[in-house]
Amino acid sequence: MAAVYKTLSKPGAKDADGDKNGSGTPGAKRNKQKVLILSSRGVTYRHRHLLNDLAAMLPHSRKDVKFDSKSKLYQLNELAELYNCNNVMFFEARKGKDLYIWFSKVPNGPTVKFHAQNLHTMEELHFTGNCLKGSRPVLSFDLAFEQEPHLKVIKELFLHMFGVPQGARKSKPFIDHVMGFSVVDGKIWIRNYEVREVEKTKGEGEDEKEADKAGKTKAGSEKETDVSLVEIGPRFVLTPIVIQEGAFGGPIIHENKRFVSPNQVRSDLRRSKAGRHNARAEQQRDHLAKRGNLGLLPSGAAKTVDALDTRAVFA
Amino acid sequence: MIGYDNHGIDLAGIDDSDSDSEFEKEDKDDQDDGNDSEDEIDVDDLSISGSEDEENMRALTRIRETINNKDALLASLKRIALDVTPGVVPFAVHQSVVAPATTESAMGDAAVDDDLARELAFMNQAMGAARTARALLRKEGVPFTRPVDYFAETLRSDATMELVKAKMVEEATAKKASAEARKLRDLKKFGKQIQVAKQQERAKEKREVLSKIDQLKKKRKEGASAALGANEAEDMFDVAVDNELGDSSKGKKRSAGGDSGGRPNKRVKKDTKFGYGGKKRHAKSGDATSSGDLSAFSAKRMKSTGGGRPGGAGGKPGGGGGHKAPRLGKSRRKVAGRK
Repeated sequence: MAAVYKTLSKPGAKDADGDKNGSGTPGAKRNKQKVLILSSRGVTYRHRHLLNDLAAMLPHSRKDVKFDSKSKLYQLNELAELYNCNNVMFFEARKGKDLYIWFSKVPNGPTVKFHAQNLHTMEELHFTGNCLKGSRPVLSFDLAFEQEPHLKVIKELFLHMFGVPQGARKSKPFIDHVMGFSVVDGKIWIRNYEVREVEKTKGEGEDEKEADKAGKTKAGSEKETDVSLVEIGPRFVLTPIVIQEGAFGGPIIHENKRFVSPNQVRSDLRRSKAGRHNARAEQQRDHLAKRGNLGLLPSGAAKTVDALDTRAVFA
Repeated sequence: MIGYDNHGIDLAGIDDSDSDSEFEKEDKDDQDDGNDSEDEIDVDDLSISGSEDEENMRALTRIRETINNKDALLASLKRIALDVTPGVVPFAVHQSVVAPATTESAMGDAAVDDDLARELAFMNQAMGAARTARALLRKEGVPFTRPVDYFAETLRSDATMELVKAKMVEEATAKKASAEARKLRDLKKFGKQIQVAKQQERAKEKREVLSKIDQLKKKRKEGASAALGANEAEDMFDVAVDNELGDSSKGKKRSAGGDSGGRPNKRVKKDTKFGYGGKKRHAKSGDATSSGDLSAFSAKRMKSTGGGRPGGAGGKPGGGGGHKAPRLGKSRRKVAGRK
């Protein structure tokens, strides 16, 4: 795939994202990314804190003021262009409780819309991990990201937005955290861990031995240490909803059938409550009908005896 | 609702309207339900993940067309994709690792709700990535570990970390305090038990000693009947033992209660003085025996000046001899009278 891309990238570089891959030669290709992070109006404090956390983690991001419109999202393209950003991360809050996050590659798309759930900001999670502000993360992707085309697209977007490009202005020269992206239950779970180097303890398990081997072969004369992870936060879960071909527009090229809108969930809950009454009323009606058939209702006439009635037949 | 309208209009047939309106209302509700469920179908279908169920639902109901335009997806991916070919592009450019297995397979049959299993799977994935990345970056000569003397702004501020630390300390102290409190509680409960046990033990010991002594006494007695010669010694032994026991166990009681059957001393004395039980009348009147009893009479005393009642009605005060013997107590006078 990548090889094909390489062959095609030379003619394609002119019409597509010009600023994405700076210079034309494949050897000196630079990964240039800048992310515009902003939210709509009506975000809750938790949404806002999550946004701040993400902005703090991404030194190549540009945080902007709240965007006023929820219908004219294409205006974000111009805004991104204004700030020289080629990625947009837009937090759209609805009803003061639901958060949708749009990930978009700006001039030409694609755009992915996620529903964010289980938000836990760095502050409220009392994890002990910490890392340098602006250090480049190692991005850890689930194998599932390689198996479906839509997940491949999502992975690429994550790579652009969460991966801090090499030599970004405010990035730090050491690597001390890992961002994990896992697909479970059709949702993407995002975690952030600090990498701590610890003295290698002997005979802990196969993992250690494996790492030992790796360390010996690759690290060579480096001091024998192992890594351990301590979670930093934030935590959140993204459910992909749709993928559009353009940036905040264009045809929908993927739609998640398993996504249930939170509105629907809430209304179902309400309806199931109402359903209890309906069931009871129905039972009552059945009961009345039965009594009516037997001629037991005070108002109803006695049951007419037809020719095939038991009493008539066996008279 | 239609039912309520009927109530308003059909006042004449109010008897019938009850049941009729009920039916109509329910029918209307049913229709509503029907419409709703048609609207819901998509959602119901969406929430079902099993493929056979999906097939069933598809057969039964209208379904929204699923959009998954793979060609378009791949095309747009190709448009934006970074070159991450291993070996061609250095790892340091992208720093992304794809795990060798899916997280769902790593989780096995643990449910998504199983927080521990899920987080462990996530962490293992990230751990694998961290190890791989570290190895690759070291091979490329990119600095990985932060030196100890490299200080820079951290993602979470010092204040936040302080809070975290404070919270941890608080949790630890709370845990410790609760453990200590529990220990104390247990000790208290146990201490009571110990106390009770000790008391019981003491009582038992005492009982045992007493029974042993009793046995010993019995044995001695038996031995005494056989050999009369040792009688005296045995008596002495008995007395000694009795004294010992009395002193230890009933010493206090005896001093309070006096000799006779545990009655108080005063009562006993009064009883001897005034008597108790029986007829009280004429008890002090004289009878044949008392009048015949001349034991208290002595001519010598009648003749002596110091005798008789001192200062009595007929006596001369300070008579004769000059030396007057003091009047003794009654019992001693009685004894003296008998002589």
